[in-house]
Amino acid sequence: MENGSIQVLLVDDEEGFRQAIARRLDRRGLAVRQAEGGEGALAILAESAVDVVVSDVRMPGMDGLELLDRIKQGYPEIEVILLTGHACADDGVAGIKSGAFDYLCKPIEIDHLTEKIRQARDKIQRREEKRREAEYRRRMEEQMIATERLASLGTLATGVAHEINNPLAIIKEAAGWMTLILNKPEMEGAPRRADLQNAAGKIEDAVERARRITHQLLGMVRKSEGADMTDVSLDALLAESIALIYKEALNRDIEITRWVDEAVRSIHTDPYQLRQVFINLITNAVHAVGKNGRVIVTAQPEGDRVAITVKDTGEGIPKEHLERIFEPFFSTKAPGKGTGLGLFVTRNIVEKLGGRISVESRVGQGAAFIIELPRKKTKT
Amino acid sequence: MVQIPVRVLVVDDEKDFVEMLSLRLEESGQKVSAAHDGAECLDKMKKERFDVVILDIRMPGMDGIEVLKQIKKIYPLVEVIMLTGHGTAETAVAGMKLGAFDYLLKPADFEDLMEKLEGARKRKEEQEERIRKAEAKLLVRRAGGMS
Repeated sequence: MENGSIQVLLVDDEEGFRQAIARRLDRRGLAVRQAEGGEGALAILAESAVDVVVSDVRMPGMDGLELLDRIKQGYPEIEVILLTGHACADDGVAGIKSGAFDYLCKPIEIDHLTEKIRQARDKIQRREEKRREAEYRRRMEEQMIATERLASLGTLATGVAHEINNPLAIIKEAAGWMTLILNKPEMEGAPRRADLQNAAGKIEDAVERARRITHQLLGMVRKSEGADMTDVSLDALLAESIALIYKEALNRDIEITRWVDEAVRSIHTDPYQLRQVFINLITNAVHAVGKNGRVIVTAQPEGDRVAITVKDTGEGIPKEHLERIFEPFFSTKAPGKGTGLGLFVTRNIVEKLGGRISVESRVGQGAAFIIELPRKKTKT
Repeated sequence: MVQIPVRVLVVDDEKDFVEMLSLRLEESGQKVSAAHDGAECLDKMKKERFDVVILDIRMPGMDGIEVLKQIKKIYPLVEVIMLTGHGTAETAVAGMKLGAFDYLLKPADFEDLMEKLEGARKRKEEQEERIRKAEAKLLVRRAGGMS
């Protein structure tokens, strides 16, 4: 709206007057549409974008004041300037009370009208800017809250994981010891031996499952002591990561393709940690597709950074999940299938490598995870 | 196959863990003693001979690394396997530089533990064997010198 001419809708039942004003406004660079009454004006508003409505008050059928009310209800963004007969200042005052931007008495001084229209447009722009600023601030705040919440959740989760490892070790040893005894030849023929063996085995399996969770959580803490940075071939690293998942993808009829821009063949990073990130994201993509589809991995320069995108043709992610997708323990997989830590850990690694991760998705249109990483060594 | 029991000392402040691990090790044929802190560990080692010490890194009072240093100083032939939480894997590596045989992440896999126990015992035997041979050589040389 800032660029381009102001869209004006001129409403008056006196055709000659209307045409004359329209012509002159047009000459001053305004885009003018015309209507000869309230109903006609509303019909135009329903179809086209208008910034400012200039309307006569006294009109047969729907008068200017009623039109004003309807506009304020249906199109609160539009500003309205009323034109009143020379002896009808009361109409103008009533109009301003119901939300008109201003009123002008006929006969109209055209430059005056033009000036009023511009002022009305400026008011709209200021309002728009304020709204955008408020929106921006709201989003920043939301982001900060989300970041803080993730950080505190992470600290809590790793603390819990640490403490849980000790009792887990006890459970594991106790169950293992029972199995050892139950398996001894002297226990042959003991009552319900098989039941007990089965139960002890279940305990050991469950401990193994819990252990995977705690170790995955703690995996990122362990790495916090510093990354092992070196120059890496991004293409080779991607190829290697894909090769590890290739077989599973093949079984599901999923094609994984990669494309790396010449300019980002080589980057300075920690290959082991980045490979973990690739494996996590590509595995997720393959799971999201399920069967029969594609996963596309691309790497492109983005200023002095590189943007690596992992895109899939899966179901997509609903909006309410998008906000929580990087939280620890958030998973939509069945219990025991996913730990809900993959993306949480991935995000942690990416941030440790000096990068950022984001996600774009719509239900039914697949999902894209985008990692931005520094390309070259950062000066310390 | 006749199994020669390994003489193991398990050191951890988690009493239940020590109890369960000891039961299991004994059940699989090892000779096990237990201690619940560094001081008790060194005390037991003064009175009894061990092949391998399974040592937790995080303990109140004297921590595992400190205990390891003492063990290696006083009983250089005794092998030590460190037990560690995930976050302290770096400490475990530091422990190996100080002479620990290996380390295990808690909760550890029993098969892994048995393998490492066997490895530690073997290394200790080889070491003792080498020392015996060296001593024998030394004796022969001395004897040779006299003639």
